[in-house]
Amino acid sequence: MPGLILFLSGLLLAPLLLGVTVRTKAAFAGRRGAPLFQQYHDLVKLLRRGQVMSGTTTFLFRVAPSLALVVTVSAAALVAPSIVSPGWGFPGDFVFLLCLLGLARFFTVSSALDTGSSFEGMGASREVLYSALSEPALLIGFGVLVRVSGEMSLGGMYGGLGSGEWLSAGTALCLVAVSFFIVLLAENSRIPFDDPNTHLELTMVHEVMVLDNSGPDFALITYGAALKLWVFASLIVNLFLTALGGSSFQYIAWFPAGMLLVGVLVGTVESVMARLSLLKTPHLLAGAGAISVLAFILSTRFLQ
Amino acid sequence: MIPFALLLPLLVGLPVLLSLASLAGRSPAAILRLCAVGTVAVSLLAAVPVAVVLAGGEPLVMLGDWIRLDALSALHMMVLCIVYSLGALHSPGYFADEVRKNTLDTAAARRYGGLWFGSLSAMLVVLLSNNMGVMWVGIEATTLLTAFLICVHVTPGSLEAMWKYLLMCSVGVAMAFTGTLLLSASTGPTAVHGNESLLWTSLMASAGGLNVTLVKAGFIFMVIGYGTKAGLAPMHNWLPDAHSQAPAPVSAIFSGFLLNASLYCILRTLPIVEAATGGQGWGREILIAAGLLSILTAAAFIVVQRDLKRLLAYSSLEHMGIIALGAGLGGAGAFAAMFHMLSHSLGKSTAFLSAGRIIKAYGTNDMRRLTGTLAASPLWGAGLLSGILGLVGTAPFAIFFSEFMILRAAVDSGEWVTAVLFLLGMCIVFAGALRFLLPMVWKPRDPKPVFPKATVLEHFIVILPLSALLLLGVLMPGFLTKAFASAAAVLGGAQ
Amino acid sequence: MTAYLDIILVALILSDFILLGSGRLGNCIRIAAWQGIMVGLLPIATADAGFSFRIAALGIAVVVLKGFVFPRLLNRAIRESASSREVKPFVGYTTSLLAGVLALSASFWLDGRLSFPLHLESAIVVPVSLSMMFTGLFLVVARRTAVNQVIGYLVLENGIYALSLAIVRDVPFLVELGVLMDMFVAVFVMGIAIYRINMEFDHMDSNRLAKLRG
Repeated sequence: MPGLILFLSGLLLAPLLLGVTVRTKAAFAGRRGAPLFQQYHDLVKLLRRGQVMSGTTTFLFRVAPSLALVVTVSAAALVAPSIVSPGWGFPGDFVFLLCLLGLARFFTVSSALDTGSSFEGMGASREVLYSALSEPALLIGFGVLVRVSGEMSLGGMYGGLGSGEWLSAGTALCLVAVSFFIVLLAENSRIPFDDPNTHLELTMVHEVMVLDNSGPDFALITYGAALKLWVFASLIVNLFLTALGGSSFQYIAWFPAGMLLVGVLVGTVESVMARLSLLKTPHLLAGAGAISVLAFILSTRFLQ
Repeated sequence: MIPFALLLPLLVGLPVLLSLASLAGRSPAAILRLCAVGTVAVSLLAAVPVAVVLAGGEPLVMLGDWIRLDALSALHMMVLCIVYSLGALHSPGYFADEVRKNTLDTAAARRYGGLWFGSLSAMLVVLLSNNMGVMWVGIEATTLLTAFLICVHVTPGSLEAMWKYLLMCSVGVAMAFTGTLLLSASTGPTAVHGNESLLWTSLMASAGGLNVTLVKAGFIFMVIGYGTKAGLAPMHNWLPDAHSQAPAPVSAIFSGFLLNASLYCILRTLPIVEAATGGQGWGREILIAAGLLSILTAAAFIVVQRDLKRLLAYSSLEHMGIIALGAGLGGAGAFAAMFHMLSHSLGKSTAFLSAGRIIKAYGTNDMRRLTGTLAASPLWGAGLLSGILGLVGTAPFAIFFSEFMILRAAVDSGEWVTAVLFLLGMCIVFAGALRFLLPMVWKPRDPKPVFPKATVLEHFIVILPLSALLLLGVLMPGFLTKAFASAAAVLGGAQ
Repeated sequence: MTAYLDIILVALILSDFILLGSGRLGNCIRIAAWQGIMVGLLPIATADAGFSFRIAALGIAVVVLKGFVFPRLLNRAIRESASSREVKPFVGYTTSLLAGVLALSASFWLDGRLSFPLHLESAIVVPVSLSMMFTGLFLVVARRTAVNQVIGYLVLENGIYALSLAIVRDVPFLVELGVLMDMFVAVFVMGIAIYRINMEFDHMDSNRLAKLRG
């Protein structure tokens, strides 16, 4: 039951997280900024519009946005309840989570290639490069959690972490959180990897892949992106919530606060950092991988 | 009983004073003369304790075991004094034309004199200290002090050589420090604590109880670290550059003793390692492998070498390998290694000093253009000829006999592969070095380059070491046999 | 005290990673300075036997030297030589990071094999110092500019210093001070050397000084 609440609230509130980030950035810049619920207005507006399809595309282009969204929703369903119901999921489901995210990426990339546009092909290539670098970081990070908690499923992992584990392996867990956060920035096309506000096709990653989508399809894509951010953010928030301990309802009470914090943090990073040049972004992701490896090595040492 | 040990601190102090004195020198010529006189004075002073130790066999000890001179270090100190004296006596003549043309100004000469005595003092610290930490400080100091001796003349080449030398040797010295740390930490299980855990004598006394893993790790770090400074392959890259760019007297002390000083540190550690690992030859095998690798590397480079000073530098690499190999074989090999060290330093200093004069007169390092040296200058040409002949191991010279003894030690201990590789390396070096030597000495050349007239002293410093090299090959005086034997006994683990 | 110590050690590794992945020379010098300060704080963090004057003096000396004096000298060397502020690596940044991770794993493996007698109460101090040594060596070899090679040497020295704190119970103060003095001299000499190399060539790229071969 608490798991269902978390999942549904995620579906409902995901666009709000983006709103928080946008407001944070506005506050740093000294502006009032768009309203918190702007994302919802945009979605409604897009859903009401008609749809234009390029003549060179095939059915792949038509089905990809819906399929990608379905896969992302499944990912959210896998992650959201894990903090409150330790029995949720199955051994090794964190690999399945990576598969789902990869599948969503596969649909987006194929539909981008399907348009035959050189810009979209470029974006697709960058997207695949980033994911090739970020997946090891994620996987090794999950390896640390498995190692520290001694459980193989997402639910078990978060259930198995407590203040005892945080005392003995807190450094390793913090490093995992840092690595996850860098991956979050990369996977959700935030600064310093990609600027969501830019409109220069040459430098964009995610946005450039969906240049040809419009109307309801674009609404699905936008919503999917918000949900993906929510999934990544909840991975980090869940990790820190385990340090507090407590009952499911306490978790549910703390969870929104944590998400708000992540939203503000993303906004802060976007405000204080400049976008890295495209050639340098892989170094940062490699750094995330290195941090994950460090966390793993430390966890083997702290828990002998 | 005269307290000869009291001389030891004086030995370190005197060069420091002379170094300060040369910093205050008035003219380049005066400073160079001070170099010559001062170095000989220090050598004569050092001769007393060296003779006492080598004749009596008992080590001299001072300052609660921190200063100690035993047979091994006394023998090294003898070589040090000979090489430094030869180099210093050579300096006034070598720099004479530069002083005249004013390319060596007073500031440069002051720096030269200060660093010359400074490095002499640092090397004496290395040899005299019983404390492995202080010994390390001495090696580090020699590195820093000798670096600027390479670029007495600032040219792109000498600056590059200096930078390479500084960078590689400072990293090597850092590694050697790690080795020293590990060695001192290996005293954990024993009753040796505090400052004592760095003293060579107390480490030797309790070698059986040391933590074997740490001793082994420490020795590997030391071989890499000090080996870099001793020029053992594959850490030898700085060596040919530094030797070929430095002025001849500096090249002579680099080849003749700086390398030996670092190798001495490895040799110091060897008996501790052997005693701690139960005398199974673990440490010796590392030295044998390093020695063979150096010999073969040097042989490969000597064959393709066209630059005279680089040829001599690679020859030093080869001879360091031979000394390491001999020490690694132990027993008769260690005796031969000590003998080889003395003969190599004699031959190499003479060869470098003669080569320096010849290169100055011809204005080139290229052996294809250095022809007819014997006719142009009988003294320096003969010095070069017999120096190189001696170094490649031609029969009547001492090096032939020491190499032969090492070969026999290898065969006697059943190390057939080692013996064959050693012989192979010797043959390649012999062929490679002689390829250019014959035209360099005899091929006629017009017009003959002009050499300044050699003084009596210069005849003396060429002829004396060469005849010593020849005499040592024919008959060895009894006191030297005893000295080599007692130094080899230290290597074999005798107290 | 152990948690404090572990945080410093982890921060040391992270600073290594930044050094391996950073492309700005000024940035590298700043990170190396921070690393020096953290290393200087190690003996203070480990003073379990009481906070003696000797430990405090050692810590302060290291912090001042590595945190303030060396960075200043290096910055002056860059300024006076008017050289490029880019790192110019032989080995790319991502590959360098990979090498750093490999060095880290190798150090932990080595530590498991060698079982050092520990003086400090931390499970990771020896492998961290070993990995700093490896990283320093890698930086010396894999970076082209002379200043960056000096930074690599500093990292190597930091690692050795941490190792000496970890495994040696009572090395005399004399030797510890000797290390510092020699380091100071080493970098100082290197600084002058850089200056003069630059005077001669108008750059201090030791790669371009590669005429001496064979």
